Order: sequence, then C-alpha cells, then structure tokens
Amino acid sequence: METNNNIQDKIDLVLNSADTINETHISLFFKDKTMQRLFAESKVESSIWSWFTPQIQLVTLVCVLFFNVYAVREIKTTNYNKSMSSFASDYGLTIESETSLFN
Amino acid sequence: MSETEFITQLKNQTRASYNKLIDDFQQKVFATCISFVPNREDAEDIAQEVFVEVFNSISNFKGQSRLSTWIYKITTNKCLEFIRKRNTKKRFAFLQSLWGYNFEIDKTNFFTEMSHPGIILENKETSETLFYAINQLPEAQKTVFTLHKVDGKSYQEISEIIEKSVSSVESLMFRAKKNLQRLLENFYKNDN
Repeated sequence: METNNNIQDKIDLVLNSADTINETHISLFFKDKTMQRLFAESKVESSIWSWFTPQIQLVTLVCVLFFNVYAVREIKTTNYNKSMSSFASDYGLTIESETSLFN
Repeated sequence: MSETEFITQLKNQTRASYNKLIDDFQQKVFATCISFVPNREDAEDIAQEVFVEVFNSISNFKGQSRLSTWIYKITTNKCLEFIRKRNTKKRFAFLQSLWGYNFEIDKTNFFTEMSHPGIILENKETSETLFYAINQLPEAQKTVFTLHKVDGKSYQEISEIIEKSVSSVESLMFRAKKNLQRLLENFYKNDN
C-alpha cells in the first residue's frame, strides 16, 4: 500500500503535467483545405436555391395545402350535384321535365 | 484596417478577408481544439468546422464582443459538442458522467484515440491520466479547467468566452481542481 504522500506526489505530477505540453503546429495544408471548403460550399448555395429561404418554403407549402384542400372540396361538391341532377332527370323528377295538364 | 472594416469584409464573404482570418486564427483555434480533444486529426476537423461556422454565421454577428472572443466561443462549443457526441456513443461512460461525483477514471471509455504531438514520451502517462480525468468532470468545470490550464487562457478571457463573471470562473476552477484531486486519489488508491 502506497503512503498518502506518494499518492499526493503522483497527483501533483498529473495536475502539473498540463504545463509540460508543448505547442503543436497546425498542418501546412489546413488553410488551403479550409479555403476550398468555404468557397466551394458558398458557390453551390448561392447559385440555384439561395432565394428559396425557409420562410418562402413554408408559405409555398401552406399555399399548396390550401389549394389542395379547396380543390378536393370543390370536386366533391361538383360530383354530388352532378350525380343528383342525373338521378333526378333519369327518374323524371326535375322541374323542367315535369308535365302538367294545364300547360 | 479596423476590426469593423474587417468584419464588413467577412460579411461580404471576400476571399481576401477569409485568407487573413485563417492566417490570424488557425493556430489559436487549433490550439484550443487540441486542448479539448487530444488527437491531431480530430482537432483539425473541429478547427475546420469552426471556420465554416464563422463563414455561415458572420451575418448574425452584431459586434457585442470582440471577433476573437466570438471565434473562441464557437471553438469551445464545437469542441464540447464533439466530446458530447462521442461520449454518448460510449453509453456506459455517459451514464457514469450522469452520476456526478461517483465517477471514475476509465481509460477504455475515452472519446478519442489519444495522439497529442505536444506531449513528450516522458510525460505521456501522466498527461494521458490528466485528460482521462478531465473528461469525467462536469461540462462547465471541464471547459474552465481546459481553457485555463491546458490552453493557457486568462480568467478574464475565459469569463468573456463562457459569458460568466470572473468570480464564477474562479469558483468553477476551484471545484474542478477539487474534483480532479478526488478522482485521482481514487484512481491511485484503486490502482495499487
């Protein structure tokens, strides 16, 4: 079993080891790689879709959804009216086709 | 050129301004990265992410702090984010860190492969033990201890980076040292 003094010496050595770390230099190609990445990314971004910001995307989505819902409702109503009128005309229930003895 | 003019050029995304920015900051940003993540490849990847973040977010920089402080803030956040992600992958280590004071130094669960070119062979073991122990500290203490002791930043600089008062930084540093002492004591007692 080590004495407390020995353990404390080891702990001090570990805590002071941060002071012994030498400066490390970054690789020579870091700048070139980073510049290439920065300006390659910006080119792609700015060319086609840069104007299509998230706000515009959201507004477009809302518009598309609104028109879809509206269109579906319209189609449903039109079909219903059409089938009702064709049913009525098939069975002679329309006002126009009603014959009267007095006409 | 004044800092305001330089920032305007950065906002305009001119090639020359980023050339200068990288010349001025690459070594400092890398030094901070390798202080948090003792692996050359990982540290360089994070440093590159920092410059990409600066490039993408400079339009949001309102000049409330110095440009250098803002860049160090991004650097620190990127490093912590990297460590957090890697630690989460090592689930057991992550669960251990949640228990606060019941943590232990576990060399098998360190988030990266230790390869710090600045550590000489003679100090390899002690420096590695220090990094393993730092990784077990709570995030705020880890940040302050690393920035001060490993990266060599002053309390004033750290307080600007983490947006806390100097006395808070001192208090975090005191607690970090106390926890490291306790961690290392347990480590050496169990080791023998």
